[in-house]
Amino acid sequence: MMNQGGITETLAPPGTNSLEDRHVVDARHGQPSSYSSSTVGSEASSWTPHSVNNSFTGNGYSAGSTYGFEQQAQPPRRDDMNSATEASSLSLGSTSVPQDYNGYVTYQNPTNSYGYGTTGYTGYYSGYQQQSNHSYSQPAGAYQSTGSPYQPLSSFQNTGSYAAPPSYSNTYYSPGDYQTAGTYPNSSYGSQTWNDGNYANFSTYQYPNYPSTSSAYGSGNSAAASVQYQPQYKQWTDYYAQSEVNCAPGMENLSVASSSNPQCPTPGVPDGTQASNSQPPPTAVPSWRPEPVSSGLPSQQPSVVASAGHDSYWKQHAAPGFQNYNSAAGHSAFYQPLDSKNAYGSYSDEQNSTSNQGPNLQYPVVHQVPQIHQASQQISPTLDPRRGSKVQIQTNPRIVSNLALGLTKTDKAGSGTTAVAKPAYIGVSLTKPNDKGLSSDASDPALKPATFPKSLRGYVERVLARCKDEEQIAASQAVLKELITSATADGTLYTQDWDAKPLFPLPDMDGLSNTFQSPSPLPTLRRSPGRRTKSRWEPLPEEKLVNKTPPLTAEPLKYGGYMNDRNRKPFVGNLESKDGLNTTSFLAVEQKTASFQKPFKRQRLSNSLTTADNGDASSDSDKESSLTAFYSGVMGFSNTPEERKKRESRSKRFEKGHGNRVEISHFKPKSAGSANLYTRRATAIVLSKTFEESGSKAVEDIDWDALTVRGTCQEIEKRYLRLTSAPDPATVRPEDVLEKALTMVQNSQKNYLYKCDQLKSIRQDLTVQRIRNKLTVKVYETHARLALEVGDLPEYNQCQSQLKTLYAEGIEGCHMEFSAYGLLCVILHSNNYRDLSSLMSRLSNDAKNDEAVKHALAVRRAVTSGNYVMFFGLYRTAPNLNSCLMDLFVDKMRYKAVNCMCRSYRPTVPVSYVAKVLGFAYASSVSGGSDEKDSDGLEECVDWLKAHGACLVADNNGEMQLDTKASCSSLYIPEPGDAVAHGDSSLAVNDFLARASS
Amino acid sequence: MAYLSMGEAHRRITDYLGRFSDAVSSQDVASLKHLLSLSSNSPSLLSLADALNLFQDANRLIKQSDKYSQFAEIVVPLFRCLQNYKLNNLVDAYHAYEKAANAFIQEFRNWDSAWALEALYVIAYEIRVLAERADRELSANGKSPEKLKAAGSYLMKVFGVLAGKGPKRVGALYVTCQLFKIYFKLGTVHLCRSVIRSIETARIFDFEEFPQRDKVTYMYYTGRLEVYNENFTAADQKLSYALAHCNPRSEENIRMILKYLIPVKLSIGILPQDWLLEKYNLVEYRNIVQALKRGDLQLLRSALEEHEDRFLRSGVYLVLEKLELQVYQRLLKKIYIIQKQKDPSKAHQMKLEVIIKALKWLEIDMDLDEVECIVAILIHKNLVKGYFAHKSKVVVLSKQDPFPKLTGKPVNA
Repeated sequence: MMNQGGITETLAPPGTNSLEDRHVVDARHGQPSSYSSSTVGSEASSWTPHSVNNSFTGNGYSAGSTYGFEQQAQPPRRDDMNSATEASSLSLGSTSVPQDYNGYVTYQNPTNSYGYGTTGYTGYYSGYQQQSNHSYSQPAGAYQSTGSPYQPLSSFQNTGSYAAPPSYSNTYYSPGDYQTAGTYPNSSYGSQTWNDGNYANFSTYQYPNYPSTSSAYGSGNSAAASVQYQPQYKQWTDYYAQSEVNCAPGMENLSVASSSNPQCPTPGVPDGTQASNSQPPPTAVPSWRPEPVSSGLPSQQPSVVASAGHDSYWKQHAAPGFQNYNSAAGHSAFYQPLDSKNAYGSYSDEQNSTSNQGPNLQYPVVHQVPQIHQASQQISPTLDPRRGSKVQIQTNPRIVSNLALGLTKTDKAGSGTTAVAKPAYIGVSLTKPNDKGLSSDASDPALKPATFPKSLRGYVERVLARCKDEEQIAASQAVLKELITSATADGTLYTQDWDAKPLFPLPDMDGLSNTFQSPSPLPTLRRSPGRRTKSRWEPLPEEKLVNKTPPLTAEPLKYGGYMNDRNRKPFVGNLESKDGLNTTSFLAVEQKTASFQKPFKRQRLSNSLTTADNGDASSDSDKESSLTAFYSGVMGFSNTPEERKKRESRSKRFEKGHGNRVEISHFKPKSAGSANLYTRRATAIVLSKTFEESGSKAVEDIDWDALTVRGTCQEIEKRYLRLTSAPDPATVRPEDVLEKALTMVQNSQKNYLYKCDQLKSIRQDLTVQRIRNKLTVKVYETHARLALEVGDLPEYNQCQSQLKTLYAEGIEGCHMEFSAYGLLCVILHSNNYRDLSSLMSRLSNDAKNDEAVKHALAVRRAVTSGNYVMFFGLYRTAPNLNSCLMDLFVDKMRYKAVNCMCRSYRPTVPVSYVAKVLGFAYASSVSGGSDEKDSDGLEECVDWLKAHGACLVADNNGEMQLDTKASCSSLYIPEPGDAVAHGDSSLAVNDFLARASS
Repeated sequence: MAYLSMGEAHRRITDYLGRFSDAVSSQDVASLKHLLSLSSNSPSLLSLADALNLFQDANRLIKQSDKYSQFAEIVVPLFRCLQNYKLNNLVDAYHAYEKAANAFIQEFRNWDSAWALEALYVIAYEIRVLAERADRELSANGKSPEKLKAAGSYLMKVFGVLAGKGPKRVGALYVTCQLFKIYFKLGTVHLCRSVIRSIETARIFDFEEFPQRDKVTYMYYTGRLEVYNENFTAADQKLSYALAHCNPRSEENIRMILKYLIPVKLSIGILPQDWLLEKYNLVEYRNIVQALKRGDLQLLRSALEEHEDRFLRSGVYLVLEKLELQVYQRLLKKIYIIQKQKDPSKAHQMKLEVIIKALKWLEIDMDLDEVECIVAILIHKNLVKGYFAHKSKVVVLSKQDPFPKLTGKPVNA
């Protein structure tokens, strides 16, 4: 919600301004500095108008100084968080809000510290739990230490990763949503690489803040925050992709290279997050601190708490929590806008990265990329070069942003390597090789930045960021408290992917948050972020609000990834952010389902609930699974590498199995309004997953029956649009409608382009629904004939090859007619002995007795023997559309014939005879009329002969004669007049249109 | 089957193992290849299979002894293959054999000399034959046959081992021929090209160095490829080489060569003796040869129609169909000779109507334009020397050699 709000704000400055103002206030309260800083960069560019906000953020700047502040603030936040978790979420809510602000600041600081410290995660965690400041100072060490402890303890790592994830998610989100996070980063930005890390951290912080804001935040914060963030991210991404692309990109930028710009869009989100964070931090902080104090263990404990909180979180969210969130989201959204603006401003001012952010902001793809980057960063940090990796990652992220799509491969590789930062990085940010290098590099810088994402913080921040008003914040805080406490109780505080954890829905804002979440999933779909976002989401703008499930599915993957990252390294923060997104989506789903699960439980529940949930569960349950999930998540963001795909596919199978069924069952029943939207997205996500998986290798493992879409669209007319995502049942026409559509096309008077478009959409719907029957054959036959008529061979070939398999399946149709076409095609195109004789030997006796086939065989004979008289005789009597195919060969045949005549005839040949024998007369008689047939044909023939260099003379009677001897050596094949650079004149639009319309 | 005692089974197995290890250590190819030759159905192998089915613990037997265990990689799958082969589980047998073959090629690679080439030949042959049978079993069970393809990729690996410098290279052509057989059977003839290229361009291969039988087989297949490519001169050359060097007692092989060589020779204007067709049971070509001799278009067409399936399958249909022009040439030549007998001064002017009338006698109905076109093509392809006067509808023949013979050259395009 917040994100959306922020986005919208960014989009609509006025609205945002108001929001910003609020945010500003918030920012001032809590993390103004951080926000301002983060937002400054991103928003600065986009949101210059927000300068006011920036001024607010100015605080954030101070936040830059912030580190100190932040650290301090962080502790409070933690305290707040703890208190929040401990105390009733609601009570915390209101009070916490202010605290949140503080917390935000602190959080941001912590995040900064985290990012800087890279200890990041530990720092984050520790910060969250113990001292945000400490984490900062210690970030690297703490992170590492935490990292190790985390790693040993799956939970720990998870938490670490979670924390990181949050940060990541934050960063990711923050890119868009979390520009506020960006503000965090601002401080970090100041340090540049650190900034990146900081950003990540910030984002994470924010996320944690979010969670913290929600009562559960402390424990659930990371997760919850992450969840929220994720949703937000998704939403943001969606938004970004759609309208807020800028923001999303900004987010990404921030995450990547402390791109303040990206943050700008995110700023709004960050604001929200910050606001939320500020509240949550307190809650989270306290809880966390105690635990963190102990060191790694504390973090774990907090994580556990968090998980507990999560459960509670979820539950609360499910009911009131969601509402609260919504309200909170609304608040956060307002804040976010402000924050984002502020952050942008601050960012821009503080950080150089602003420029980066600027670019990022512009493109949704960028967002995705940044996310990826973050993820990669996080991962890398988690791996060897945690610190360095972070930094590098950030840098990488930038690159990645560019490369994001391509990165999937690397992601896969990364997955292969395990959650190791390198692979992940690679996968996420760059291609594998690049990723590795980057990761290593990044790892070093990462340490400095201490970018460890505090997933939990991020989660909290996200949650809070969502909140638009204090009520929401309070509610969120309450939820966060529960989440965190439950998480701590479960010991999942650290293990959970807070980043991945879906934000619990805010009562009012849920829709928005959801929408945000949905966008984030898009980024997760890394492969074709831009496209997917556009294609998938454009049609579903409304859905965004409603669609939490799709994000969930996407998020689960991320979640897993986050988990992995966290486990391995604090830096995972980036990954976590992704995870966070995933988780957020999951959370959202869960929330919707109203079943609150602890992280682990979540997984299980989530499985039952949705695929996304499954993903979370898997991540929680197994590191590997989480890794796979992560990978998948990574994949989602960028293009996952093959390995990742494979792993994802494995893990996804489960998800699919569960998720799909669940989703389908859930969604189908809902089949109306928002429910439909959900289902659509969910299935779409599932499908996209399956596609990714299938890409890896498990096509045969996919249960296509379960995935087959049943269309519900009643529109007869439908434009063809190549699917870039899973089909949406609402836009797919069922068989009876398709039949009408076919009749409509057949009776249509419109031109070929229209018909082709319609038929392709019919074909697509048939394919998507896996309808293979007479209707299918009819459609392909109709299209093939139309294509032949206008000479659209590529389209014809597509149909022909489909028909071949359809006929082979025993479906009735005009088999003979099309085997004749097939024969003619071979004759006219390849005409080699082996193909021909094998084709002919395969003809059945029935076929050989068929008129059309007989004709085709006769044409073949005429062509191989060069018998032009026979050829043109057959041309005249061609059944069906055989003549259309022969058309393609006419010129060649004529040229050969004239060559032959020139060689054989002496002294002359009357042109009228040539015209008659070579089919000119016939051709003209078709259009001309029998009377002028000869003359018309003659004229055309003369033109043709002249064009081919023949010598024509008039004899005594004035009749044109072909001077064979003179022509013998002068014949040539003219350059086709309508030749085009690409070699296919039928692609020349004007010509094509002319032909098509005739 | 006679009762087989455990002791007897044990004895047979150890006997086999002993012979195997002796053959390898003494580099005795002759006995080694017998031990690998599955399809020979030799009694010793079959009885061994019985023994293996009875005595289930042969693997332990192999691994217990240092002497045998070094061959475990080869022998263990080989035993499994034998068992399955005996039980007619050909797909499983193939899998096991391929495993054994892979282990063998691994060993073979390490042997410096080429002493085991013969054994490798046996393996290359066996794996192909077994794959074909396994594919039949697969398709009978409704599964997609893919073992032959797998055998092809195994043989490509073998080819890679052999196609280098050194004494082993003489084995390359045998493997190439086995590959040809697979590719032709699979219809993936284009895959032959890479192998051919390495044989014909690599300097390490002196073609005459290869064993005779491999050279003949190689020439047969490459000749067939040239037929597909419509390169009749090269096809004639290769198939003639194969015919000339083929063992005269392998009548079936000669027949196979002639099956392609005859159409090729026909298309360059060389007709076979009738006894040749008789001797090698290639009577389907008899009417075609007759048609060419008589200029009887109708006979050619009916002969083509009669054996269409066979010709299409062997891929010579299109070659034979092109003989039509030669039949026209023969027909015109006959008309020319008759005209010359009637009135030598006007013999070189042939009216189109006459040709149409002659075709009518052959029960072929063609209109003026079509015949004119045929004549134009004949002149164009240099089967008739002269020109066609359109106005008067007369073919004016050259006074000197109006119907040039092809004499070994294909009809030019």
